[in-house]
Amino acid sequence: MATKIDLNDDSVVVIVGSGAGGGTLANELAQQGIRSVVLEAGKRFTFDDIENDEWAMFSKISWLDKRKSAGGWHGAQNHPTLPAWIVKGVGGSTVHWAGVALRLQEFEFKTKTVNGDIEGANVLDWPISRKELDPYYDKAELKMGVTGDITGMPHLPWNNDFRVLAEGARRMGYNEIASGPMAINSVDRDGRPACQQIGFCMQGCKIGAKWSTMYTEIPSAEKTGKCEVRPNSMVLKIEHDKSGKVNGVVYADVDGNIHKQKARIVCVAGNSIESPRLLLNSESSMFKDGLANSSGEVGKNYMCHTTAGVYGVMPEPVNMHRGTSVAGLVSDESHNNTSRGFVGGYMLEKLSLGLPFLSAFLVPGGTGWGRGVSQALEKYKYMSGVWICGEDLAQSQNRITLHDTDKDQYGLPAPVVSKTPHINDVNMTNHAYTTMKNIYESVGSKEIYNLPAYPASHNMGTNRMSEKASDGVVNKWGQAHDVKNLFVSDGSQFTSSGSENPTLTIVALAIRQAEYIGKQMKSGEL
Amino acid sequence: MITNWERFISNLPVRLATGRLNRRQLLKAILASTAVAGFASANAGHAVANAPVAVKLGKEQRAFMLQMSKDIYPHDGFLDDEPYLKVVDSLIKEAETDSAVAKMLNDGLIDLDQRAYKIYNSSYAEVKGYGAREALLRQIETTDFFQKVRGGLLFGIYDNKDLYAKFGYEGSSWEEGGYIDRGFSDMTWLPQDPRVKGDKK
Repeated sequence: MATKIDLNDDSVVVIVGSGAGGGTLANELAQQGIRSVVLEAGKRFTFDDIENDEWAMFSKISWLDKRKSAGGWHGAQNHPTLPAWIVKGVGGSTVHWAGVALRLQEFEFKTKTVNGDIEGANVLDWPISRKELDPYYDKAELKMGVTGDITGMPHLPWNNDFRVLAEGARRMGYNEIASGPMAINSVDRDGRPACQQIGFCMQGCKIGAKWSTMYTEIPSAEKTGKCEVRPNSMVLKIEHDKSGKVNGVVYADVDGNIHKQKARIVCVAGNSIESPRLLLNSESSMFKDGLANSSGEVGKNYMCHTTAGVYGVMPEPVNMHRGTSVAGLVSDESHNNTSRGFVGGYMLEKLSLGLPFLSAFLVPGGTGWGRGVSQALEKYKYMSGVWICGEDLAQSQNRITLHDTDKDQYGLPAPVVSKTPHINDVNMTNHAYTTMKNIYESVGSKEIYNLPAYPASHNMGTNRMSEKASDGVVNKWGQAHDVKNLFVSDGSQFTSSGSENPTLTIVALAIRQAEYIGKQMKSGEL
Repeated sequence: MITNWERFISNLPVRLATGRLNRRQLLKAILASTAVAGFASANAGHAVANAPVAVKLGKEQRAFMLQMSKDIYPHDGFLDDEPYLKVVDSLIKEAETDSAVAKMLNDGLIDLDQRAYKIYNSSYAEVKGYGAREALLRQIETTDFFQKVRGGLLFGIYDNKDLYAKFGYEGSSWEEGGYIDRGFSDMTWLPQDPRVKGDKK
């Protein structure tokens, strides 16, 4: 019998979103005996819903509510209504994440100290260090089942697509080459099977070898009887009392009926577009610029990694679609080596696309047709691919704002997602294109395609952590500087993006936050 | 133009809007549809006033659209006409019940032909050389008409399970147990397992 929590129960923690942040937090609180209601805008999927079909899954799981792309990036033209590529459903974007489970590097917590102020950017140090987060990274790796030393699980076997990248990288003198750490079982573990090299990791893992809150944290939380997950529940507004403490959220259910769930604590984990949007939409006479926004930083500093794709036609068949989509990384360029002409670093992550997606993204947008495209696609079998994932500097102009007139299906102002690359991003991307050209040519490729950024799956920074309340939205626990019983529990807390895929850090922060909330509740502080 | 997508979303009742979308609607989200007023204004100076608002697209238009489709994604000696014709025929069928689509296709074809006549004194399909025909299509690539045809082809050619094998793509694999025993690491032209320092496991 599923747990039911009363709408008027004001002793519960309300968690908005069920992905890496929200789903993990719910389970961590439940294991401490703390009751929560998880309000998830999307529906609940099962393994039966998961297909090995790129467009079918895109249509089934993507967040496709009204959004606008703006700013100077190519997507403002080429992906005008799809600035970000994330999931709407129980499990959030952990349904489609690829499983790369990297820790941020020490220098990436100290962006401002290490590289100073950067013109045109709004960089800041995190109020926490790598050392402080390491114990929680360990816990996250054990929880998720990350291949490597902490779990003792070996990295995944190398598949064709990664062997191309790995050998090319080796020939170019690189040596940080590994098929992990991945939150994908390489052996049966924790009731989930080992990876069968199915591919389609980003369409949802059909067998659950990849960690996702959809089938790990969420059911674990529900099993305790301390957590109620309400799918199809879109939170519209967070409300507060006269003292300025939040006391509940207003949400629409599947039929569009409006409810208020009372709360002792509210944790926002709706990803870096919806989370700041919710705070901005929760403006009141007391919080005229939006909730928790005395700094004016809510929605600003939107980061989504400096990214690009490179696909090379190899002299012999590769069959890149066979096997784990991203199980293979080259990290040599991820360090802060400013002699390259930019700050921060980038990862090279093997990434296979199927024919349906490659045909749409090889040359994205309305101009991606013609003989150049069709002849390249005839060589699909020979292609190998990589995704460049680099540090994206915080900029005030890159931000989430509310549209003046356009509204979504709930009548809320639609989010406008503005993104303009910094010159640092441009220099880094060009460097990475050259690196990949050298790598692929070293293994015999004579035909290489550079792809611009895809709509972002890594979205960060829009409610950033800061030491000082004037510089950011939340403190080092993810707790709003302005409202002590309001937390941000997703990637929007990130002060810098680093060059690593964000999920592991989101999970580590959620574990740490749950511990803090538990202690604060026990001591009566919250 | 993003407005079709927006219109689609905004016209949906709240409950349906969270549901599953069909592929054409998805296309609007993922592909650009950067169509601008170019289509309408390009027509303005030409003698299209006599074109009927909606016509049944006949044999001639079918052949025209086939040529256009093969020029959008040319696969000479690789694909035959059949997959292109399937897309063309589904557009023609759609036009039979949707007069806006009929007008879009009809006007678009007339416009393209007029552009061909203006430069080559020849109908589009008779223009010699792929480069010349591609250049004509580049002139109209931002129109709703062009993107409508192209969108149909993108799915009809590259998301067509009957053609996957032709391109060396194998599609869904979980039913076969993935590739763990079916060649996920079967390349022989590079070292089998070039593990180097850094991959400790």
